[in-house]
Amino acid sequence: MSGRERVIAMLDGKAVDCLPVMPITMMFAVDQIGKKYYEYATDYHVLADAQVLTAETFDFDHVSAIAETREAPDCGAVVEYFDDQPPSVVESRALLADKSSLARLEIPDPLAGPRMHDRIKGIALLKERAGGGKVVEGWIEGPCGASADLRGINTLMLDFYDDPSFIRDVFGYTVEVGLRFARTQISAGADIIGIGDPAASLVSRKIYEEFVWPYEKRLVDGLHELGARVRLHICGNTRHILQGMGSLGCDIVDLDSAAPLDEARAAMGPDQVLLGNIDPVRDLRDGTPESVYAAMAECHRQAGPRFIVGAGCEVPRDTPAANVHALVCYAHEHAP
Amino acid sequence: MSLFEEMQQAIIDGKAPVVKELTQKALSEGIKPADIFPKAIVPAMDEVGRRMRDCEFFIPEVLIAARAARAATDILRPLLVGDAAARPAGTVVCCTVKGDLHDIGKNIVAMMLESAGFRIIDLGADVSAEKIVDAVRAHDANLVAMSALLTTTMVNMKSVIEALAAAGLREKVKVMVGGAPVTESWARSIGADGYGKDAPAAVDLARSLAAA
Ligand code: B12
Repeated sequence: MSGRERVIAMLDGKAVDCLPVMPITMMFAVDQIGKKYYEYATDYHVLADAQVLTAETFDFDHVSAIAETREAPDCGAVVEYFDDQPPSVVESRALLADKSSLARLEIPDPLAGPRMHDRIKGIALLKERAGGGKVVEGWIEGPCGASADLRGINTLMLDFYDDPSFIRDVFGYTVEVGLRFARTQISAGADIIGIGDPAASLVSRKIYEEFVWPYEKRLVDGLHELGARVRLHICGNTRHILQGMGSLGCDIVDLDSAAPLDEARAAMGPDQVLLGNIDPVRDLRDGTPESVYAAMAECHRQAGPRFIVGAGCEVPRDTPAANVHALVCYAHEHAP
Repeated sequence: MSLFEEMQQAIIDGKAPVVKELTQKALSEGIKPADIFPKAIVPAMDEVGRRMRDCEFFIPEVLIAARAARAATDILRPLLVGDAAARPAGTVVCCTVKGDLHDIGKNIVAMMLESAGFRIIDLGADVSAEKIVDAVRAHDANLVAMSALLTTTMVNMKSVIEALAAAGLREKVKVMVGGAPVTESWARSIGADGYGKDAPAAVDLARSLAAA
């Protein structure tokens, strides 16, 4: 089976020859080709080179257009670039420091916005270079994360209590931005759309269910209507919101290491495909090939057969290649 | 409910305007500003810390409670200047280290320390060792509280400790460190005076380091 066939078969509930493997790589990937993260963030050729080389070297089943937010800068947010780490939205100059500006924001055209367009071109190139054998993954920001980028995460956290109707408005806006961006990514060749919603783990179950879930659901349903499969990744400790995450109907729920897979399995039922989730730093970067293999076996045991191998979050830069090989080796040597 | 209990409840519930009103009421009733800290603000924030540890409170709840506490401290601070009995528990230079933009945890720690009676010099995020040294000197601080959320920036805490030593200030300040990737043993290995796993621990630690 090719990686592409393997992933799709797993998602469709069909037989696979071994476990699929789809770890998140960004800084690790760019380090493989000896370039700086600035180049990965600003030039899709570099992103595609890094992704394709990394996926081939380690035999991943996918290539991904994942990187820092592309939506926020194209909406007008100020982003600061660094030489060799991901650019970051400048919170002190947040686009929505004044909430009333939301009414004037338009949904950016992904083909006109420079940062979004770069990703679209990256996906087309990934499709061309690796799309035969590997799944091509696009990426968008989830409502909580995208809104944090526009409003400033510290302020957004207060808005949940100060101005719930603003929360609904800004979440609704970001879902539209995300869907429009995803539509173009799918046309360019993305098979799967990843949703990253890191800030969603910072709120209580009550706030998650009342505010975040409905918009994540709208996004997931919209992506399905566009014909994509959906991978949801929420960084951090999600133990308190596992049930909600499991009822979004995502094709893949990708968990960070703080959320044990057995808890996720219990909360989400036997059919949900889970992805993850060894501790990226303690297990993967600082472990040995043997300990990585053993940690992966424990994840598999907890997750059961509906399972894709990965780390809890981005593979950290400076992770020894042998450890990443061990992670992949576990997948190759085990059927679900 | 007593006035102090009402204040505590309003802080826990994150009702800043109510806290402001109750603080003014307390003062108009002749309650001493210095008494409001131990009787209302400190116990309220201790309870907020407990709820955070027990996962009853998440970031939004902690931030609105801290903001409510600040509504009281903003009124009280100016009244305490020159009151010998109400000297701050210590002066803390707080920041997230160079290269690191994560500031939510640092903000929570700073606000909790502030409501525990410390004077806070918050330098923000992505702060160089040099700036920290300057701030310690300029504000005559006795504590430095550093946060890091990235394994790649944790190492910068060590450079700060070295810079403090090079500036001849290491004996003068206690250094505490925290943030998700930081551990007790790592803190010890870089020569920090203490590590705290969360904001309540930061308050306990600051109290014990300031007393030492
Ligand atoms: C919000 C967030 C961001 C926001 C930050 C916005 C902001 N203003 O803070 C943005 C989008 C900018 C961001 C960017 C990045 N992030 Co980020 N981010 C997070 C996230 C989702 C939450 C962190 C957080 O605020 N936690 C809540 C606070 C309250 O917890 P805390 O900081 O640990 O603080 C508590 C304790 O540690 C302690 N404490 C904290 N400081 C101190 C200090 C002292 C003295 C003491 C005693 C105690 C103490 O008390 C606090 C309260 O109890 C985490 C994932 C997660 N859900 O945990 C990733 C995470 C921290 N980010 C990560 C990464 C890799 C990045 C990026 C490199 C890009 C990326 N790949 O996402 C960039 C780097 C930017 C930069 N140069 O800093 C990784 C770090 C991995 C690692 N170990 O190195 C994480 C863990 C995600 C992951 N799983 O990969 N991120």
